[in-house]
Amino acid sequence: MTSLVSAKGVSKYFGAVHAVDNVSFEIEKGRILGLIGPNGAGKTTLLKALLGLTDCEGQLSVLGLDPFKQRKEMMQNICFIADVAVLPRWIKVTQLLDYVEAIHPNFSRKHAEEHLAKTKIRSGSKVRELSKGMVAQLHLSIIMSIDAKLLVLDEPTLGLDIIFRKEFYANLLNDYFDEERTILITTHQVEEIENLLTDVMFIDDGKILLDSPMDALSGTYVEVLASGEGASKARELGPIAENEMFGKSIMLFEGVSREQLEGFGELRTPAIADLFVAMVKRARQ
Amino acid sequence: MITNQLALIRREIWEHRSIYVTPMVIAIIVTLGVFAMLIFASGFAAELDAVIFGATNIAGETERKAALTGFFLGTSWVFLIALAVLTVFYCLDSLYAERKDKSILFWRSMPVTDAETVISKLITALLVIPMAAIIGIIATHLVNLVVTSVWVSMKGGDASLLIWGSVSLLDNWLAAVIVILTTGIWMSPFIGWFLFVSAYTKRSPLLMAFMPLVLIALLEKIILRTHIFAQYVLGRADEMPLIRTENVERFFDEEQWRIAEGATSLLVHLDIVQFLTSPATWAGIIVCGLLSTAAIYVRRYRDES
Repeated sequence: MTSLVSAKGVSKYFGAVHAVDNVSFEIEKGRILGLIGPNGAGKTTLLKALLGLTDCEGQLSVLGLDPFKQRKEMMQNICFIADVAVLPRWIKVTQLLDYVEAIHPNFSRKHAEEHLAKTKIRSGSKVRELSKGMVAQLHLSIIMSIDAKLLVLDEPTLGLDIIFRKEFYANLLNDYFDEERTILITTHQVEEIENLLTDVMFIDDGKILLDSPMDALSGTYVEVLASGEGASKARELGPIAENEMFGKSIMLFEGVSREQLEGFGELRTPAIADLFVAMVKRARQ
Repeated sequence: MITNQLALIRREIWEHRSIYVTPMVIAIIVTLGVFAMLIFASGFAAELDAVIFGATNIAGETERKAALTGFFLGTSWVFLIALAVLTVFYCLDSLYAERKDKSILFWRSMPVTDAETVISKLITALLVIPMAAIIGIIATHLVNLVVTSVWVSMKGGDASLLIWGSVSLLDNWLAAVIVILTTGIWMSPFIGWFLFVSAYTKRSPLLMAFMPLVLIALLEKIILRTHIFAQYVLGRADEMPLIRTENVERFFDEEQWRIAEGATSLLVHLDIVQFLTSPATWAGIIVCGLLSTAAIYVRRYRDES
């Protein structure tokens, strides 16, 4: 087990607001972790603490370094895309490549240029002349050409159309990810990244609600589509959430085995989005 | 560290094209002005010879030197003023624009410390912008001396003697380099202050930079009835211990209404030892250092979300 990120009792307060409240977790090498939370849940604050952009209480170690105190050293092995709009608008594509090449010891200009050649982005263009999707492509081309151990993506596809979003994640998986790399990603469009995640973490109100490998979810969480008598019997087993759809009840169970639920209705593994909504509702009750 | 600095400074020049565009524009305007003057003077050649770069022997040698030195001084002065304005706007923009367009998150995703970033902006203000102005001054002088030489030759004068032989170019250029670099150092507390405001303010850096300075001076005048702040802080530019005060009177001969003889090399008016040994110079450098450090801390510790 190699922990790339280790957090023990990490907190960040803004006055009386607990943006991140005594959070502990580990991220191992070679994983793709989805950090899911509603607006204001503390996701961005937690990422900022990981990236050394803000200080925090508790013990936080990224690649064995203190993110806030050893940020420069750490950033040689970490990349992040915080939002699609962050590339400076005045810069030219060639200038951007020149800059990163001069500053970043792990950047391969050749790789970036090869990647850019596949897009419509011309090297003489300024960022302000590119569409939002092209800016994201440009940023991703740079990030994917940096040989980093940890890639942090904070809402990387916000405001992009569906074609760009699909392409973005396909590029990420096919051209970038391997067992040496680790990706931490936050997004509102959970369903789009659901099948590329290896791990998932739910956060709400500064606290972690769930931290689990994806393949362990189907053992712990089951959804039952039932009606009539089956529904009543299933309800007796105490679902953590229940919804009505087309006259059927959809019940979500935690820690109830599939054998117990067999025969009450159709069984399936819940979607991340449904599981998330159920857990946030329960936590807020 | 050095390669990082070079990359960061190059980045500043890319973003702030006015650093090299402004000197180019001034050089072109000055040259066009000289052209216009020469063409105008051609009509009255004999009478105006004395005033413009002395083409014939009507005026004496001193007048000719004085006219050329006056041209040197005048053009250098234009560059110095433009440089000052440019530096103010550059500094105020340098740590503000990146927050406004949110590109700070991209810059901070690179392995560069906040100290390196702020230092690169300080170097740009204290060295790069002055160097651009110096190159502009030298290029303007050269172009205009060549133009004037051609004009003088066309009039049958000996340009090598009348123009190139009458002033010490190197002396005057060295004087320009010294004045421009030391002015930056002398005014560096303001550069530090502007960088700090640029890193700190949430809006209108220009207003936020000047309002407190004016307010302090006003309050001091109203409450204490003194004007120490106005004199030593706002009036700092006038207190620069570089010019030999005893020479100032000799520089311009009011009776003859011309630049005094013996004052045609600008270098003799400068006293670099006096500048470097003045406590006020070093106090300024320390204030600049403190304010720049404050700018680094603000950039590092402020949460932009």
